Amino acid sequence: MHNGILQAINGVSFAALLFLLASGFTLSFGLMRVVNMAHGAYYLFGGYIGLTITRYTGSFALGVLGGGLSVIPLGYLIDRFLIRRTGESHLAQVLLTVGIAFVLGDVALKIWGGDNLKVPTPIELRGAIELPGGIVYPIYRFVLILFGIVVGLSLWLLYRKTQIGAVVRAGVDDREMVSATGINIDRLFVLVSALASFLAGIAGVVGGAFLTLYPGAEWEILIYALVVVIFGGLGSLEGAMIGALMVGLLDAYGRWLLPEFSYFVLFGPMAILLLFRPRGIFGREG
Amino acid sequence: MRIYSVILALLALAAALIAPLVAGPFWTTLITQIYIYGLLALSVDLLLGHAGLYSLCQASFFAVAAYTTAILQVRYGYPTIVAAPAGLIAGTLLAVIYGSAVRTRGVYFILITIALGYIIWGAVYRWASFTGGDNGITNVPPPSVAGVSIASQTAYYYFVLGVVILCAFGYRILIRSPFGLSLRGIKGSESRMQSLGYRTTMHLYAAFVISGLIASLAGVLYVYYNRFINPVAASFQISVEVSLMAIVGGSGTIVGPFIGAGVFLGLRNWVSSFFELHTAVMGAVFIATVLWAPSGIVGFIERWRPGVGKPKDPP
Amino acid sequence: MTTAVAIDSLAKMFGGLRAVDGVSLEVARGERRALIGPNGAGKTTLFHCITGTMQPSSGSVRLFGNDITYLPEHQRTKLGVGRTFQITNVFTDLSLAENIALAIVGTDQRKWICSRPLSAFPAVREQALTGLEAVGLIERADDPVKLLSYGERRQLELALALNTHPKVLFLDEPCAGLSPSERQRIFKMIRALPREITLVMIEHDMDVALGLADRVTVMNRGRVMVEGTPDEVQSNPEVRDVYFGHV
Repeated sequence: MHNGILQAINGVSFAALLFLLASGFTLSFGLMRVVNMAHGAYYLFGGYIGLTITRYTGSFALGVLGGGLSVIPLGYLIDRFLIRRTGESHLAQVLLTVGIAFVLGDVALKIWGGDNLKVPTPIELRGAIELPGGIVYPIYRFVLILFGIVVGLSLWLLYRKTQIGAVVRAGVDDREMVSATGINIDRLFVLVSALASFLAGIAGVVGGAFLTLYPGAEWEILIYALVVVIFGGLGSLEGAMIGALMVGLLDAYGRWLLPEFSYFVLFGPMAILLLFRPRGIFGREG
Repeated sequence: MRIYSVILALLALAAALIAPLVAGPFWTTLITQIYIYGLLALSVDLLLGHAGLYSLCQASFFAVAAYTTAILQVRYGYPTIVAAPAGLIAGTLLAVIYGSAVRTRGVYFILITIALGYIIWGAVYRWASFTGGDNGITNVPPPSVAGVSIASQTAYYYFVLGVVILCAFGYRILIRSPFGLSLRGIKGSESRMQSLGYRTTMHLYAAFVISGLIASLAGVLYVYYNRFINPVAASFQISVEVSLMAIVGGSGTIVGPFIGAGVFLGLRNWVSSFFELHTAVMGAVFIATVLWAPSGIVGFIERWRPGVGKPKDPP
Repeated sequence: MTTAVAIDSLAKMFGGLRAVDGVSLEVARGERRALIGPNGAGKTTLFHCITGTMQPSSGSVRLFGNDITYLPEHQRTKLGVGRTFQITNVFTDLSLAENIALAIVGTDQRKWICSRPLSAFPAVREQALTGLEAVGLIERADDPVKLLSYGERRQLELALALNTHPKVLFLDEPCAGLSPSERQRIFKMIRALPREITLVMIEHDMDVALGLADRVTVMNRGRVMVEGTPDEVQSNPEVRDVYFGHV
């Protein structure tokens, strides 16, 4: 019983992390029709930079912010000078961004080495708290859940309740129509892309504090983000939320109950879902 | 133009036949590897260049076939005559199951094949009690065909060459057949094909399974070549790399995937001897190919000599 | 069975929009029917529901008495439904002969053969060349379609549908975007079609539509407005209103 609740919290905190990464990925696709497989590398790079900033300044908050901000120009340059050249071809996008991820991964390896590095968390977030029922749980992961909720809520409000969110939603629905109304769709793309990069970078720092950063982490986290997006449907923010929860919980329970088959526990339901709803839960038809 | 291609083919065949005798063991091994990866790249290209589907789980069939053969030979002591076909069947069976992915299209198909690929990778990696986990399976004995053990590098080179040539001929007939044409029709316009009476999803499914069969064959050839198999064989990286090989060499052709394999593996071999960041260099090759050479090497040659690479006759 | 196509109370809705709003009509075997009406009347959507590109929201479609309402598109083609598209939908990377070859084997088992090259079936090539000759494109037989002009592609579009052995042919604006001489050509081709093939045609060019049709169905706002002979429809004041007056 205790273990069950423990795993639930594990799952939800992992879901919070996944949401940070998947939300940017899914909105990038929804608006710009871009599949960016370098998103995992953004996570890793942002994480490493945040790690370095935290080490030098002693401030975790600065590290998180810095990690997120540092990915924005990287993401912008990649978008503007590389991804834009691929047009609508998803094949080209996948190959290109995988190549970019390979380059970024090797560069990161050269700079930060191959050991598992942990982003140091502030004293206040270390340690554990005791929950009713005698469960002792790390504070950090609770804070992560709260952070995820705050970010999720802010994004949702931005997306559903503001003017700019409405424009983005319209763009996800019908890109040509939006640019035909005179709205500068390019600037919108840059904005959404920057947000996606920022979130990926933050996720790297925040994730690096409990999952550690190491070569290959960018691919591990990316595959989780992809399953989130497959579950939730490409282009849907709500889908990213629900998908992240599903993936987080399935992963946590899978690892606990069937460690040798944990990937099956995750991908099995995904495969079944796809047989009945190939576009995911909130994916759009056509 | 046909005479030109025939002469070229004969020259290539001659070169392939004398290579081990003049080039030495290092090259013999490398070229054998090129043939095997070229075959795997061919399996990707059947779907990519002809049906228009970008499958990123080919490594799964490759690995399942390789592991099945390895486990049967090493752990249970079965002879090649049992282990090799079993590997083929296992990999193809996986394709039969994974083929349900063809119910999706476009980016969804890509994402789903990526995820499916990870399932197998995760399975071989974590199910360590059965697959040996990270350590993989070692000491795979050389294959014995009709009582003769093909133990030397050179002998195995010729064996692989023979299999690959047979495959290439079969592939050639396949892509020039009505079924092959139907795949290219689906790639051109699936809606039109449906209105012409084609149950397109079934055609794509058949192509997917055939592609899985080819990838499985590559897997069986690989495990006897390498005498060792580990989870890397099932990795996403392998699936992506072989798709790049198909594109670099020239998608939609028969030789393209093999040329691409040669370029990619040759380049990686050369670069890794003096530069440690060879993954970054490979990444740069990806980027360069997408931006500047999307029709690959055969496509490049095509511009100067139309008809060289094209395998099809007018119907 | 003298009725080729029988549509009963067909409706298709997209969210709140009733694109087709309760259409019933019957086309006799061998008849030439023109389907006209202003843009947005639901004509192409009606075609989609008949040929299987879309499924109707309600109502039924019968082909020679058989209920095909929910059959997948490829099965309807096997039963004899042929169709051209309003937006040309041909295989641009293949040659013209390959295009027709696909149409020819589409409705039989030969499309599954993977052990012999297509060149081993000379009858298919013969048929493909004949099919191209019928639309005047035989000299370009082995050219890739991407080299064709718009008008030539429209001809190929027609040839594709003709080579699926159709019993009922649905032509969606066969003359759209063509020059006057090209229109003449298509007009003659359609007129020369044998009476074994029933024809239903959407067309905005009144000369073509009224010149070819035995009967005309006028649609507006998803419904059938008027049905009759070309003369009856032409002199109908409501029809004039819809086209020339206020809607």
